[in-house]
Amino acid sequence: MSRPPREMPAARRIPSIFMILVFVMLILSAAALYQVIEAYRSTRTLDLANIVLSLSAIAISVYMFFQLRAKPLKLGFEIKEVLTTVECPKCGHKNTREFTSGDFIFKELEPCEKCNENKMISSIYLKPEEKQKKRKKTPF
Amino acid sequence: MLMAAAVQAPVSMGIFPQDNGLGWILQLIWIVFFVVFMFYGQRIQMTIMLREIASSLYKLRLMRDKGRSIAISTIKELGNPNDDPTPRVDRFLEHIYIPPVSLDPVGIIQRLEHIIDVRDLRFKGDVKAMAPQADETQIDNLTMVLEVALDLNQIYKIIRHFYLQGKKTLSIYTVMQLQMILPIVMKQSEALANALRALTLGQPIGDGAGCLVAGRLMYGSEKREIAKDIVVSDVMIEGRKAYVLKAKGPGGNVGKPGEAIKRILEENEGKVSFIILIDAALKLEGEKVGEVAEGIGVAIGPAGLVDKYKVEEIATKYKVPLNAIVIKEDIGDAYSTMRKEIIDGAEIAVERIKQLIQERTKEGDTVIVAGIGNTMGVGQ
Repeated sequence: MSRPPREMPAARRIPSIFMILVFVMLILSAAALYQVIEAYRSTRTLDLANIVLSLSAIAISVYMFFQLRAKPLKLGFEIKEVLTTVECPKCGHKNTREFTSGDFIFKELEPCEKCNENKMISSIYLKPEEKQKKRKKTPF
Repeated sequence: MLMAAAVQAPVSMGIFPQDNGLGWILQLIWIVFFVVFMFYGQRIQMTIMLREIASSLYKLRLMRDKGRSIAISTIKELGNPNDDPTPRVDRFLEHIYIPPVSLDPVGIIQRLEHIIDVRDLRFKGDVKAMAPQADETQIDNLTMVLEVALDLNQIYKIIRHFYLQGKKTLSIYTVMQLQMILPIVMKQSEALANALRALTLGQPIGDGAGCLVAGRLMYGSEKREIAKDIVVSDVMIEGRKAYVLKAKGPGGNVGKPGEAIKRILEENEGKVSFIILIDAALKLEGEKVGEVAEGIGVAIGPAGLVDKYKVEEIATKYKVPLNAIVIKEDIGDAYSTMRKEIIDGAEIAVERIKQLIQERTKEGDTVIVAGIGNTMGVGQ
């Protein structure tokens, strides 16, 4: 049986006001940086505080833009990888494969290649995530 | 003179200097800001809260719509209906449940059981009509898919109701309460959305941990149906006769374990030395998924109130000790495909049952071991 196709997560709804704000902030900070450069050209004095502020504003607006765009809305319908463990109750021979439609725990399958006893599905479970986020440990 | 200038300098060159036009403008902005926040602070706070709720409501609507479309496509796929099931599904999603009157609590359990039975029959009948080609297991699974879609619809409508009411009445207390419960509501809705995927594919869910334990104990022995959707097996565990029971799988079923335990006790005229019930239980924050805990009482969740009552009543009548073993899990795990930790927890629970029987009963005694929960994806 073929596995169902993976679905794309629903698009995240971004209020247009946020996008406009981010763009306005980006334009203003770029204009501020331009003014600092122009002032430096004419007076030959470098306004470090303004440079730091305008560069930070540019960085924040770019970060916000990517944050708004990068996160797809997760609804919980995403298909996760599920594994089926097939086991021989007599000789204990085990193998794990991907879940296919019609699998259920304790389902009898074809005879074992080693001892000829009918194999059975001993477990079906979500594939454990390999990369787990390191959470800040609490003393509890 | 010099000293006076030095003292005055910081005042005139402060954040809002007053000796120029810009200073006055900034002063004015500050005053306006202060006045606006003094009079409209609560309104602004409410607007922010309403925005947050609207964002969650949008997510709930997407979940509801997706749930509905999954239910329709699954019915079409499994049931091969002659006509479009959409109108029937839409009617199903608006189904309401009216609990029995509790003003006079006498006989409420019997009335509740009757209403639940009628509801189950009605649901299965509707599903059979929607999916005429589906087999018994598929009917059970489809019924659960539709129940989950119904729950998602109900949650969306209730949250929308309070959101609109809060907006209409401009009551910060309504909006605040809604905002406070929203994280839990969203978690439950996501769990239901997760369940929908597992249910359409017939995968075992976390709630079936108890059934998995019972299935491990009864595997390979003969089974008989003792109550509605409940199978029982006579198994020898550590020299004791054990009646091991669970809901009939692999379709999505919980059966009537209360009725089954009652019948076994009556068959044996109460000569049972021990009852153990195994179920999945919600873990507290900080506890690990798959942890196993033991206790006293009837390990049946709030959805099985009638069964819980029946077991308590019959066990009290015959003075049979009640023992519980629970496998801890999160609300999201209870409805979604079983996690490896729960499978491992079930193995530990099997060993605990054997240990408990060995320690608390004598050889030749009779015990009842009941695996509680939804047996979706777990056979016997």
